[in-house]
Amino acid sequence: MLKKIGLTTTVPVEVLVTAGYSPVDLNNIFITSEDYLKYIDIAERDGFPKSLCAWIKGIYGACLENDIKEIVGVVEGDCSNTRALIEVLQLKGIKVYPFSFPHSHNLKDVEIEIRKFMNIFNVTEESVEQTRQRLNKLRELAKEIDELTYLENKVNGFENHIYQISLSDFNGNVDNFENSLKDAISEIKQRKPINRKVRLGYIGVPPMTGDIYEFVESLDAHFVYNEVQREFAFPRAITAKNIFEQYYDYTYPYNTTFRINELKKQIEERKIDAIIHYTQAFCYRAVEDIVLKKQLDIPILNIEGDKLNVLDARTKLRLEAFIDMLSDLKEAN
Amino acid sequence: MRILGIDLGSREVKIVVMEKDKIVIKKKISTMKFYRDYCSFDGKVIVDLGKLDIGEIDRAVSTGYGKNNTNLKLFTQINEIKAHVYGAMYQTGLKDFILLDVGGQDVKVIKVEKGITTDLELNEKCAASCGRYLENMANVLEVSLDEMSKHYKDPVELNSTCAVFSESELIGSIAEGVSVEKLYAGVNYSLYKRLRPLLSKFKGKQLILAGGVANNLAIREYLQNDYSEIISIEEPQFNGAIGCCYYGSRFLRED
Ligand code: SF4
Repeated sequence: MLKKIGLTTTVPVEVLVTAGYSPVDLNNIFITSEDYLKYIDIAERDGFPKSLCAWIKGIYGACLENDIKEIVGVVEGDCSNTRALIEVLQLKGIKVYPFSFPHSHNLKDVEIEIRKFMNIFNVTEESVEQTRQRLNKLRELAKEIDELTYLENKVNGFENHIYQISLSDFNGNVDNFENSLKDAISEIKQRKPINRKVRLGYIGVPPMTGDIYEFVESLDAHFVYNEVQREFAFPRAITAKNIFEQYYDYTYPYNTTFRINELKKQIEERKIDAIIHYTQAFCYRAVEDIVLKKQLDIPILNIEGDKLNVLDARTKLRLEAFIDMLSDLKEAN
Repeated sequence: MRILGIDLGSREVKIVVMEKDKIVIKKKISTMKFYRDYCSFDGKVIVDLGKLDIGEIDRAVSTGYGKNNTNLKLFTQINEIKAHVYGAMYQTGLKDFILLDVGGQDVKVIKVEKGITTDLELNEKCAASCGRYLENMANVLEVSLDEMSKHYKDPVELNSTCAVFSESELIGSIAEGVSVEKLYAGVNYSLYKRLRPLLSKFKGKQLILAGGVANNLAIREYLQNDYSEIISIEEPQFNGAIGCCYYGSRFLRED
């Protein structure tokens, strides 16, 4: 059995796989668990404040309850709450390996960090590159599913979300996951396209409220883009020269300007009518909404999730009103 | 093309006809009279356009609040949030604003960004924060709504959150010999106080006032401090019906 290692967000997983670990994305275990509220509760009982993002607390609970003994903690480039989280996990006897996405966002600095990471796990650049080539095969498959979503409209927003996001830990088993991707693709290709009136883009952290996908479909709209989930799957890794470039060309942890360029490209390419920007209660990323609204010339609705894994009535009403008027505009054009 | 917009209110039905983007007819009929004298029923309500005396119509769009939102035959029905937003867009030309609509029986606050509704809050549960409250209080004070709405200085404190209790509070103040001006201002201020928590989630620069309260000078005065610009639309009562016409001319597809 491979040793499990928990991830608080996407990190150079190629290194971990080369070192013989089976990476486990703690976010995924948290949000897919029936016990998700219990995980939050565990964290609050251990002293995490009420006014803290539910993801952090959920990850904490998921880590303790699933017997994860080692984790990679991202100390730069992700949320500053993660740092605090790591300290508490260390207190609980969990071994933490640090990783940073440097703020400078310069290729040299990214290389330095990844080399440090390789040293910690005692793996060579060559062997990591071999793993990378292997994993790129899966990334290519995920990319194909993404294309089937926005070019052929054969994949719904939720499926797209799940497939993309699963690339953060390959569902724990690279070979099995590769097979399931292949099976999915051949099944999807048989499908008839699903055409809905309004094409939406989902941006921001993945939702606590997974029902958003189904809900917008009931309003004759669908998501043809999942921003961060797609970034987690590294669709551009295939053309990156090496692991350093791959993790340099990644929008999630760096500055907003870099992210906006990619967003603009995708809005254009996927013919997106409007954007739903999801942010989490108590997260600094809600502030980014100001910049995004200014920089992107497209209607944007910002919605916020907290602890519940379903949309509340008010958010539903807002989505309804927003999509209703978008449909009017589409009708007119 | 001539477009008819009808807003079925709880007390009055507002009727607007637009031709080539210009308003050519505006009229109000009491809701009672509208259904009694201008409509017949055949599974759905049928409006007798002849009796309305508005000439030929190419398209008809209706909106209304809650139960009043009766489905009219041959009309396209739109929800009233949208109707009011389109009405405000037509009348101001703005695409980014907060719309505060205080009607007889409900309050709506709507945020519009890039020409699309992004947030809204509806308060339809409590009479103490809508137009009916002002009317009742004006009745108690035996003053016209218009006159009462001019006074904003030095309001007497009315602390009750409930419309019914407010009335007795007001009478108490009258008995204590508080000046009528202070009482008028007090009524206006108490409505403003109840609107404030609703508005606090809707920070922004431009606030458009619609509904009956758009004519209330005192409330405009109080709101002045919360927004950089308060915009009143000329025809606040007709806003919903105007929005129907706007929708009909821009978005409605010929079947
Ligand atoms: S949603 Fe925001 S606060 Fe929560 S973990 Fe992510 S970055 Fe941190």
